[in-house]
Amino acid sequence: MVNFVALAREHWVNILVPMGFVFGWYLDKQQDQKLTAFRNKSALFSRELKPGEEVTWK
Amino acid sequence: MSPFILATLLFALGLGTMITFASSHWLLAWMGLEINTLAILPLMAQHHHPRAIEATTKYFIAQATAAAMLLFASATNAWLTGQWDIQLMTHPLPVTLITLALALKMGLAPMHSWLPEVIQGVDFTTGLVLSTWQKLAPFVLLLQLQPTNSTLLLALGTASTLVGGWGGLNQTQLRKILAYSSIAHLGWMTIVLQFSPSLALLTLIVYFTMTFSAFLMFKLNNSTNLNSLAISWTKAPVATALAPLVLLSLGGLPPLTGFMSKWLILQELTKQDLMPLATLLALSALLSLYFYLRLAYSLTLTVSPNTLIGTTPWRHPTSHLTLLLSTSTVATVFLLPITPAIVTLFSLLGT
Amino acid sequence: MLKILLPTLMLIPTAWLVPGKWLWPTTLLHSLIIALISLTWLTNLSEVGWSSLGSYLATDALSTPLLVLTCWLLPLMLLASQNHTASEPINRQRMYVTLLTSLQFFLILAFGATEVIMFYVMFEATLIPTLILITRWGNQAERLNAGTYFLFYTLAGSLPLLVALLLLQNNAGSLSLLTLAYSPPMQLTTYGDKLWWAACLLAFLVKMPLYGVHLWLPKAHVEAPVAGSMILAAVLLKLGGYGMMRMLTILEPLTKELSYPFIIFALWGVLMTGSICLRQTDLKSLIAYSSVSHMGLVVGGILIQTPWGFSGALILMIAHGLTSSALFCLANTNYERTHSRTMVLARGLQMVLPLMTAWWFIASLANLALPPLPNLMGELMIIVSLFNWSWWTLALTGAGTLITAGYSLYMFLMTQRGQLPTHITALEPSHSREHLLMALHLLPLILLVLKPELIWGWTA
Repeated sequence: MVNFVALAREHWVNILVPMGFVFGWYLDKQQDQKLTAFRNKSALFSRELKPGEEVTWK
Repeated sequence: MSPFILATLLFALGLGTMITFASSHWLLAWMGLEINTLAILPLMAQHHHPRAIEATTKYFIAQATAAAMLLFASATNAWLTGQWDIQLMTHPLPVTLITLALALKMGLAPMHSWLPEVIQGVDFTTGLVLSTWQKLAPFVLLLQLQPTNSTLLLALGTASTLVGGWGGLNQTQLRKILAYSSIAHLGWMTIVLQFSPSLALLTLIVYFTMTFSAFLMFKLNNSTNLNSLAISWTKAPVATALAPLVLLSLGGLPPLTGFMSKWLILQELTKQDLMPLATLLALSALLSLYFYLRLAYSLTLTVSPNTLIGTTPWRHPTSHLTLLLSTSTVATVFLLPITPAIVTLFSLLGT
Repeated sequence: MLKILLPTLMLIPTAWLVPGKWLWPTTLLHSLIIALISLTWLTNLSEVGWSSLGSYLATDALSTPLLVLTCWLLPLMLLASQNHTASEPINRQRMYVTLLTSLQFFLILAFGATEVIMFYVMFEATLIPTLILITRWGNQAERLNAGTYFLFYTLAGSLPLLVALLLLQNNAGSLSLLTLAYSPPMQLTTYGDKLWWAACLLAFLVKMPLYGVHLWLPKAHVEAPVAGSMILAAVLLKLGGYGMMRMLTILEPLTKELSYPFIIFALWGVLMTGSICLRQTDLKSLIAYSSVSHMGLVVGGILIQTPWGFSGALILMIAHGLTSSALFCLANTNYERTHSRTMVLARGLQMVLPLMTAWWFIASLANLALPPLPNLMGELMIIVSLFNWSWWTLALTGAGTLITAGYSLYMFLMTQRGQLPTHITALEPSHSREHLLMALHLLPLILLVLKPELIWGWTA
């Protein structure tokens, strides 16, 4: 029988770095959205997308 | 000292500075400065130690000379122009005299020699008051009269940064080192005073924060010279671990708070087309950095061999209140990222 | 960008909260994961211009290899310093890990910055952890002297840079790297402008270091603990080359004439420091001087300002970063066993540590730029672009290559071959930790042979 409480108590710190990664990845994504939104609104680049046309960011 | 007398003295100390802040009349401003000086003298002499008495006497003589000069200059001003208003200084002679008198009061080079001697003679708390609160009143007067004497202020400021750096190189006494560091920082403020008063104020406050942590830390360790710093590890390990950061912040190394004021001042100087002066100032900061670095070496970066006597202080938890120290240390180390907010705050205050 | 930066920051609480016996495995594992995630930056290289763009941070073809190298170095440093910190109290070990992590944090910010002042602030910010690493964790009393040299050489070079940058900001209105390259060329004619040009480059030349202002480097290397030497040789010196490549785009019209003395100095430095290596008795000092010699070639390649020069410089920086870091690790394995850096005292180690000799062999060959390793590609591209500029440089670069081969072989033969002295017959065998460390240094170097366009920079 594995003692899950003891395991969690010993190893919970391992969650910190992945948490940082997920949070950073989320913030990066938000930033990308913001920049592409700006790009689609800017006078230089803005146009209607053709039906079926892929968005330029991915 | 009886608490009633202490309270009265502290009240007078605050009152004098406040009167100077609030006055637009030279006589009243002078009165505030005098009240302020007379209130600090008993505080300095409260420990009946020959060094303390000597320091008090020296302080009194320097301040009285400065105050007399100030009175003389403002009387001359009244004689020449017919009014006593601080903001309306038009004649160059009283302006120069008053600037020199205030420089003597604050301890700007070349009128600085009293400052290290005086600070060395008093304890850390009084030394902290001397190098922070006592600078405020003369500094505010200088702020109000600034725009008329550019070369004099630049000369005083440059001389102070250089003297502050060079003077500290040779010292082993902590209070003298802190006094020279005070001279150097005051030099930076004086240089930028005429270009951007709000920036000078910002530099002053940043300097107060940094020197506050430095004084409190040495007080916590109860060490007054370079040698006794080496066993700080056993007294306050966390404070000792952070000490190099505080010291390097005083030296103005990025990314610590001390870099903020240096950066902004250099930026202001390049805007005014004073590149040689900016470079000279930046390099003079290296002189000060050298003795801060030496402090950091003996405080933290070399660990003395642990003797039995060295380890016993582990068992005595400190009874000092460290809340102030920890707050100011955090401010000393981490404020650089919010530079824009601080600059905006001070430019609002300046207008 | 933040997906690397935030996990790096979270490594610090991890190091403080993890139970003591798990400290090294946990931080090693997490830093290795971060390093592996950082490899994803390499996928964007084929695109021209900037990627992973945020408000303040971005990567491009020039900074990506250096960023990945930075992330790669942290697990290696942790791996290398486990043994010599083992006798310290646990809280000091945690402090040590914090120090190394903060160094990586500042380096990522420095290489990723899109604003020159931010690059400057982070460039300076790396000084504090490095200084503490050298002066707090070094071994001899001379380390304080070395720390002072390190700090003051770098600062005396870089404070004029700050003034020069602020001046540039006043004239150009912005210091953003994204737009700075497109700003109209400046009219630089006066004597003051020439001083400005020198101030812009001096900080980086001191950091590189250029021969003549290099005295801080051997001292710092010799006194620093192994992790300090590794990060110093692998990444911190490269800050200088990176900064120079960034700044040269805006210094355009003056560089043509003013860079002559610096190119000459750099190439002369290749010869001189190489010769110093030939008569060196101290192993770490030899590797440090060999760094100065390689960096001289890099300075030459950058100042010549051709696409080949830039590419060669970046390739050589990355390859040298891995090689010299590996050599410092090897020197440290010797030091941990014999407690001496003197080469005469630790000869003939092939007899007792035969597998280590294989690593010594590969690392020495990489150091002398054997084909097909990327070291050779970098050196060759720099030598060719210098040759294209002036035939006479071949005398200096050719002799430099010869001397490099000479001292690399001298180092290998001196430490590995010959009779084993009787006083070191009872050495501890090498740990698998050390073999892993060497493999993680040299495998990327060998794999880069297969896909060198990852580190070609702007020419890719």
